[in-house]
Amino acid sequence: MPGKSPRRVWREPRGAGSPFARRWVLGGLAALGASALAGPGRAAETRSEEIRFGLTPVFLSSDLELLTRLKAYLAASTGRPVTLVLRRTYQEITALVLSGYLDAAWICGYPFIQYQARLRLVAVPVWRGRPLYQSYLIVDRDRSATGIADLRDDIHAFSDPDSNSGHLVTQALLAESGETPDTFFRKTFFTYSHRNVVRAVAAGLAQSGSVDGYVWEVMAEIEPDLTSKSRVVRKSEWLGFPPIACAKALRGSEATTKIARALLTMGDDPAGRQVLDLLRLDGFTAGDNALFRGIARKFDQVKRLG
Amino acid sequence: MRRSLRKVGAWPMAVKVPVVVAILMVAISATISNQILVRLSQTQQRHLEQLASAYLDGLSSSLVPNLLRDDIWEIFDQLDRSRELYAGLSAIYTLVAGQDGTILAASDPRRFPSQEAVPPSLTERFAPDRELVLAEDEERAFVRRSLSYQKRPIGAIYAEIDIQPLLAERREVLLTLIVTNAALTLVFAGFGYLAVRRMVRPIDVLAAHLERGRGGHIEPVPRAEIGAKNSEFGRLFRRYNALVRALSEREALAARLAEEEKMGSLGRLASGMAHEINNPLGGMFNAIDTIERHGDEPSVRHSALRIVKRGLVGIRDVVRSALVTYKGSGEMRHLRRGELDDLRFLVMHEVSRRQLDLAWNNDLPDEIPLPVGPVRQAVLNLLLNACSASPVGGHVGFSAHAIDGDLVVGVTDQGPGLPEEVAAILIGAEADAAPPGRGTGLGVWMVKRLVGELGGRVRTAPSQGGGTDIQIKIPLEREHERELRHVA
Repeated sequence: MPGKSPRRVWREPRGAGSPFARRWVLGGLAALGASALAGPGRAAETRSEEIRFGLTPVFLSSDLELLTRLKAYLAASTGRPVTLVLRRTYQEITALVLSGYLDAAWICGYPFIQYQARLRLVAVPVWRGRPLYQSYLIVDRDRSATGIADLRDDIHAFSDPDSNSGHLVTQALLAESGETPDTFFRKTFFTYSHRNVVRAVAAGLAQSGSVDGYVWEVMAEIEPDLTSKSRVVRKSEWLGFPPIACAKALRGSEATTKIARALLTMGDDPAGRQVLDLLRLDGFTAGDNALFRGIARKFDQVKRLG
Repeated sequence: MRRSLRKVGAWPMAVKVPVVVAILMVAISATISNQILVRLSQTQQRHLEQLASAYLDGLSSSLVPNLLRDDIWEIFDQLDRSRELYAGLSAIYTLVAGQDGTILAASDPRRFPSQEAVPPSLTERFAPDRELVLAEDEERAFVRRSLSYQKRPIGAIYAEIDIQPLLAERREVLLTLIVTNAALTLVFAGFGYLAVRRMVRPIDVLAAHLERGRGGHIEPVPRAEIGAKNSEFGRLFRRYNALVRALSEREALAARLAEEEKMGSLGRLASGMAHEINNPLGGMFNAIDTIERHGDEPSVRHSALRIVKRGLVGIRDVVRSALVTYKGSGEMRHLRRGELDDLRFLVMHEVSRRQLDLAWNNDLPDEIPLPVGPVRQAVLNLLLNACSASPVGGHVGFSAHAIDGDLVVGVTDQGPGLPEEVAAILIGAEADAAPPGRGTGLGVWMVKRLVGELGGRVRTAPSQGGGTDIQIKIPLEREHERELRHVA
């Protein structure tokens, strides 16, 4: 579960790489002087070669199979060792991207808009043929609510403060009628995962929730027991799919370029195809900042009210 | 109640002992079962307390930071996941409330929605001073743990635990105990029945012998049935056999004594008879002398012959009476009235020797359906006793009547009265009373025996003129009934 361990770095199991490394070290010791120059040089190169790829806690980030396959695909495709970096919140990943620690990260459209000046688009996922998705307002299956007006005084579950679909869209919707979540809802809380929003509503902990439409639809496919306990009350307009972005300074770097290429050609590779199948995505596209104008508008709406 | 208890008392040993065994088993098993169940419930409660404590410990340490942050989701997530972690503890719900009594999150949010006050109906189920409260009739346990941070209370965990599995286990144990104990009780009772039946078999043997002994055939227990030499029953049987032998010897002795007594009285009778015969003999010799000397005189001869004839008639009566009395004890001929009157001749000697006044009153019909021998012998014994008991010149009375189908014969004397032990022999209920020692009351014992054999009874009372009044009463049954009884 993403919320369980806020500081976790995904690493390849050591078993595969270490025998090779040990042999190399032993060989280096045997060669002594002759290899003295080459050793440190290659070691430094290895460190700089590693690609760090960040993942926001999207619903599937807990799926070890997906993570293993994605890592393997990226490593194979880029020809470089890959480290997948996971954090509990969007904010942490965003900060790591902005700092340049991550070569690229799968973030949300909301932080991309917030830090548009300091981030560059690497790729945008394509879902059901378009790089777009929706935000859903969900309620208990047996509730008769038909729109957000019926959700007043609910306990409402958001996924993440920096999530577009899991927070900003609902914030903006309330802002249209001059409300904020605090004034409109009795109580709100963050689950830091779209899947947990669905769980909270299904369990009755929250009476309603804001959730990523893509996540809800995929969950409806693979965990119908959970989604069947909730019902979608409102779907937002189509908005830019959470993109893969990098720090402005890293744009055009070898690592970023390799990642971009690996993502864009994912559908051409059997291993990549498997990853896409797990993600229920069609592929990736280069995308365009214009995709996120809808999110930018919502951001402005909320800012105006705030 | 008492009656039914008496009925129980009449049960055979082979039933009573197994019943007692069963009752004891039931009592023991009830006590032990109770102990086991008490211990089990204590163990279960301790186990439950430990489990609940571990559950609360695990929860509280991770809940405190989330409680401080008011993080509804994390609290719910923990409660939700703890359900799988503590599978041994089936919590129906767990809820976490803040210090103000508002629910932050519950494992069952639909029942306990967040942001609402903990229902008072719930809080009153939990004890403030104890973590665990058992409500066995509801099959529930309620646990509560206060949460504090830096020694300041910040909230509490409430949980309701389903203890149905524990109670089911207890019921199962109880059922097992009942079934096992019932089976054991039955087995032991059955075993007890067989064992006791085997053990009391010698008593049955003894009882059968005693029962047979009632009919007069008292027999020792055969050696084969005695069993182990040193067992209680072996010793009992040997003592019983010794008793049987002693009784047989005593009976034989009594019979011999009776015979001697008969001979003794016969001797007395014989001397009496000799006297009775001798008395007329003197007169008869005189008469014969007279006839020899003055036989020519018809009147003298006539009167002398009358004397001789009277003397011979007297002798004939005495002899006939003795013959009738002692012809044989087995004679079953019916008694005739005159045969009792004849007894006068047998006691005449005693009566005249002691100058007694004998009053004779015989009202009997001509024939009485009773055997002549025993009746005559019994009455003669009584008469002889009365004569010898009365003082010189005293009065002895005889009466015989047939009253209401009974022969009633009374003999009175003016003697000093019967000694107590002799009277006891005479009127005692015991038909088989042992004969007394030689010399005292043997005649009386014979009377008792003879009358008893005829189904009659003897009664004594002080006589009006001082002395004793002895009455024998013999029912006049039909002949064949008596014969049957004799055969028996």
